[in-house]
Amino acid sequence: MKTIAFILLALSLVGCGTYVTKEEFAPNMYKDHPQTIVVLPPMNKSTSAEAKEYYTTTIAEPLTQSGYYVYPMEVVNDVLKQEGLYDTETMLAVPPQKFREFFGADAVLYLTILEWNTSYMITSGSVTVKVAYELKSTHTGDVIWFYDDAVTINTSGNSGNMGGWAGLLAQAITTAVKTAATDYIPVARQANEKILLAIPFGKYHKQYNADMKVKVEKKKALKPVEEKPQKGPS
Amino acid sequence: MNKTLLILGFAFLGFVGCQPPSTLFYWGNYSSTLYDYKKNPSDTTLSVHKTTLLDIMKKAPEKKMLVPPGVYAEYGYIMLKEGKENEGMEYLTKEEQSFPESKVFIQRIKDEYSRGKK
Repeated sequence: MKTIAFILLALSLVGCGTYVTKEEFAPNMYKDHPQTIVVLPPMNKSTSAEAKEYYTTTIAEPLTQSGYYVYPMEVVNDVLKQEGLYDTETMLAVPPQKFREFFGADAVLYLTILEWNTSYMITSGSVTVKVAYELKSTHTGDVIWFYDDAVTINTSGNSGNMGGWAGLLAQAITTAVKTAATDYIPVARQANEKILLAIPFGKYHKQYNADMKVKVEKKKALKPVEEKPQKGPS
Repeated sequence: MNKTLLILGFAFLGFVGCQPPSTLFYWGNYSSTLYDYKKNPSDTTLSVHKTTLLDIMKKAPEKKMLVPPGVYAEYGYIMLKEGKENEGMEYLTKEEQSFPESKVFIQRIKDEYSRGKK
């Protein structure tokens, strides 16, 4: 029975990309055992000015469901300001160890919004959110986990049963309406969920310390945080 | 009885059983009311978000789930900002009792408040 289940599981994991176990991908997570995470305000590299504020509201929930204690971000922002830290770009200059002092946090999560946009080509449209996560230990200062992913939702309209120019016009209109109305938040939530499938679970999760052999797609470090070019963690 | 069918049935059950529970903590409408507040900061949207925080505390045990990290602290912090010291301190203490790992953070918020009062 179990064999069959395992085969099914193995089959479901076959896809594109290279797969490694969580332990192979992020060995230091299983040595460091972070329990508390402070999430810094995201860095915004997208073209949308509002992305940063809105994206922030989607993070705490999935991260706690992955088993971590996450400091309430609304309060964290005020504490950071008391320390004279107003945006994440300046926080990059602060050694991760400092956040242990400020909050008692085991790890710091640096988020980068890479894409938060609508692509609109008259008769076809889509909404994309792409984000990168980078988790650093406040004990060692090292990157202990990172991941990135994108989710795109198709908002292309259809023309109903009309053909010719009338059909194209109808399609263009429904595309415009659907694209404009699509909310980024559900797209961002999906992106977070995809990304967090790859994090080793924290102590509040049932599979804490039991997910080392779970396979995840191997990612290359994007290095969104460091300004200077650097090789990925070895 | 067809044995193969039975085995497949069990394998399917096993498969379903592998799914980790996705809802350890009860978050209610948290992200939605916080989003509304961020999009349009006002007394009204803040008040709706405060209702959400209280609602989470009430409903989580009913649903046999946990109040998530940060919810007591966020509510307590808002209370302090509104000058409701006793209530604020009480919720901050609840956060620390529920999550002892929040101690450094909670102590800091309390100290900061006491210093600001002087």
